[in-house]
Formats: sequence, C-alpha cells, structure tokens
Amino acid sequence: MSENKKSGKEYEKYKELVIARIEIMPSNYKLSLGSEGTFDKDELMHHVNKVDHIGIKVIQMELRFIKAIAEGKLTKALVSA
Amino acid sequence: MNKILLVTRPKYDDATEYLAFYAGLIIKQAKDKNIDCKDFEGETANSKNITKFIHKKDPSLCFINGHGTETFLYGHKDEIIFDNKNCKILNNRIIYARACDAGALLGRRIVKENEGCFIGYQWPFSFIIDSKWSTKPHNDKVAALFLEPSNLVVNSLLKGNETNEANAKSRSKILENIKEVMKMKDKEDSEKLVLIKYLYLNYDGQVIHGNKSLVF
Repeated sequence: MSENKKSGKEYEKYKELVIARIEIMPSNYKLSLGSEGTFDKDELMHHVNKVDHIGIKVIQMELRFIKAIAEGKLTKALVSA
Repeated sequence: MNKILLVTRPKYDDATEYLAFYAGLIIKQAKDKNIDCKDFEGETANSKNITKFIHKKDPSLCFINGHGTETFLYGHKDEIIFDNKNCKILNNRIIYARACDAGALLGRRIVKENEGCFIGYQWPFSFIIDSKWSTKPHNDKVAALFLEPSNLVVNSLLKGNETNEANAKSRSKILENIKEVMKMKDKEDSEKLVLIKYLYLNYDGQVIHGNKSLVF
C-alpha cells in the first residue's frame, strides 16, 4: 500500500517513533509546511499525536526520510554530487 | 511567446513572506539583466490579474510562489490561480512552482501534449525558519539553506541554461548545502539531522516534467 493510501489508523503505530525524532528539533526552529502553516516542535508533536491530516503529513515525511536512509539513497546522492 | 518573466508572490503568512522575499531577489537579478519582468506581489497575485497578463503579454517563464496542492496553485490568501480547468494557459511555457505538491499531478497536466516544461515538487516543499529571524527573512541563515537552492532554478534559466540544467543545478546545490550542514561546528548533531532531513526531502521531491531542453 502506498504512503498516501494509508488511513490515519495505520499511521498510529508510527506516532512514538516520529515524536521521538521531532523532539530533537531545536526550540527556535519552525517547520514551514506550505498551506498547512508553520509549526514549532511542540505543535508538530501535538499533530502527530492526534494523527490528524497535518500529523499524517509529518509522519509521511519522516517515513520517506527513514526509507531513503535505509536504502542508501541519501549517501548515494551525496557521493555522486 | 515573449521573453518575459512573470512572478507571483503573495504575502500573507510566514511561508509566503519568505518565498516573496527570495522571489524578490530573482526579480532584482532579472532587472539587472534588462529582462522584462512582471511582479504580482501581495494582493495583486490573483487569478484575474494573472490570467489577463498571460493572455495579453504571453510570458515564456512563470515563477509561481505560494501554496499548492496536487491539483491547485494558489495566489493571495489562497485564491486559486491555476487548476485542472484553466492550466492550459500555461501550455508551452516554462513553469517553476515553488509550492507544495503541484509536481505530482497539476505539473504533469500542464505539460501534457505540448512543448512546455514544469519544475516543482511532488510532495510538500518545506523549509526550516529560525524564529529569531522570522520577521527578517534576509537575516535567516537557516531558511537560506533551503531557499537559495530553489532560487537557482530561475537564476539558472535567466542565464540561458536549459530547463534540465536549471533543475539539476538547483538540486545539486541542495546536496552542497547538506554537506555544508554536516561540517558545521556550531551545531549539535541533532540539529544537523533536522536540517539534513528536510533538505533531502526537497531534493527528493523536486521534479521536472515535459520539455527538458527548453530555454528561456
């Protein structure tokens, strides 16, 4: 199943992992997520915890990055740059 | 088709303020090169003004800044300026949409069965803002890591590069910035990881559709 087709319920299992990864964000940083708005880490964690549509976007982004790391895509891109 | 740069840059929230500031740098570069440029800034970035201008002046390069979805590109205060119904007016042009998601569907549709080129993002175009500087985008060195590479798309096109080259230079600059972040001595590893993550996601999400050898 593609990331976009998963329901909110299916993202529940990633909540803790994603929140732990957001927790390291410096408190002066805010993530601009297009029309969804701009969020500091507490707001991001709140949305992820609720698994609302913003939370799902954030989870999808984290999963995409974890997958890229696991598959060596980032390393490959950096080496070839 | 005329060698004119059209820029849309609504300004009504943090994200659009930053995009508008960086788009302003491109407008300055275009003026320095004596390139005709039409700037739809703030509330002038609306569907009526932009559509009228495209029909009348036939610009060959459109630099769209603002919010987006897979099927819409927005102007001031989320007014839809381009969607599946009216996107034909963008046919045969070079479009760079610095907006979320439009590269997934709308961008493909814009260049379908014509000679145009679309550069954009197939998922959210995201960037980190240092809240110490959120009222002064020009001082925000963190946001610059994300927005300078995106400016390179249009900067490169203004220099006469082909669309494929402009896209590649921009993506390559993101990788350069990732390497720069890795070397930063004044940041904790956790902070570096946050920056690298969102830089990489923009790199991975930046797509080009249509004519890859088009020149402005």
